[in-house]
Amino acid sequence: LCCFLAGSSWVCGLLGWARPERWLASGSLFPLSCIHTSSSLQKFGKWEKKNRIVYPPQLPGEPRRPAEVYHCRREIKYSNDKMWYLAKLIKGMSIDEALAQLEFNDKKGAKVIKEVLLEAQEMAVRNHNVEFKSNLHIAESLTGRGRYVKRIRYHGKGMFGIMKITRCHYFVKLVEGPPPPPEPPRTGFDQAKEYVQQLRSRTLVNTL
Amino acid sequence: GPALAVQAPAFLPQPASDIIDSIEAPSLLDSILWMAAPKKRRTIEVNRCRRRNPNKLIKVKRNIDVCPECGNLKQKHVLCGYCYAKVKAETRMIRMEIHKNEGGPFNAPTVETVVLYDGEKPTEKDEGKRIIERARKRPSWFVQN
Repeated sequence: LCCFLAGSSWVCGLLGWARPERWLASGSLFPLSCIHTSSSLQKFGKWEKKNRIVYPPQLPGEPRRPAEVYHCRREIKYSNDKMWYLAKLIKGMSIDEALAQLEFNDKKGAKVIKEVLLEAQEMAVRNHNVEFKSNLHIAESLTGRGRYVKRIRYHGKGMFGIMKITRCHYFVKLVEGPPPPPEPPRTGFDQAKEYVQQLRSRTLVNTL
Repeated sequence: GPALAVQAPAFLPQPASDIIDSIEAPSLLDSILWMAAPKKRRTIEVNRCRRRNPNKLIKVKRNIDVCPECGNLKQKHVLCGYCYAKVKAETRMIRMEIHKNEGGPFNAPTVETVVLYDGEKPTEKDEGKRIIERARKRPSWFVQN
């Protein structure tokens, strides 16, 4: 893609080294200015586009497809690894449980994730035809690494270290319906059964 | 024969003194060499096993209830945050009224204080007490005495 991007901060991430607005002299016409540049609002990542897919109408006999809402927040000033623990806490809970756990958690990311969940719940009820706001559960909750910035951290005796200012993204997918029951942990008996099954399904190779 | 027997004991004290000298003063460089350092880079698999161990994951709290007064969530052993905030705000307003009544520091009277809201009269129990007026309806949670 060689369209000229005019600087929102998210966009500058893609071509961080290139500054097209500086290449052109002040008097010259902006070439390809008729193309719709991505400076309006912000560039939509893949997760935001998932809300736009439209399924064909369901046949009368099919079971009802549960409603899904995708929401995310970009460039949260928090560490990816630390946010992962919160995302792992919430996975598979109902939305009320998740909000309760996050309210009494002391981490910085808990407040952010709570806001994201409330926004997503509001979106689901308003735009995505969800009847009861409590009837949602968290199908997926992920974190991603944002853009890092390097800075100098001054130590004693003239020594220095390079510190990374980390940012992260948080993605959540809410699905209508009660949360799925947690799968039972694998016991030794299950593992033994699988092993015996493996042994029994062996065949002799290159024979009749 | 006898010449060899004489020479041998002459050399014995020297190597002993050399050994003692070398043990007495270990140099600074030697002590640094004994410090602990990682031998190999920890692989991402090993790192993940340590970071995702169940004792490092956040535990699910089981002591969350619903406050019977306002309906917000609260922990069982902690006061409800919303109710505490509303009581705190009202107390602040009462304290501002007291401040206006007293006028300056060190003017606190030696009698008790009674807070009266709109349309309330002091009873005969509140004879000698200082009265603070608040210009609003009595909140439902502030019990009258």
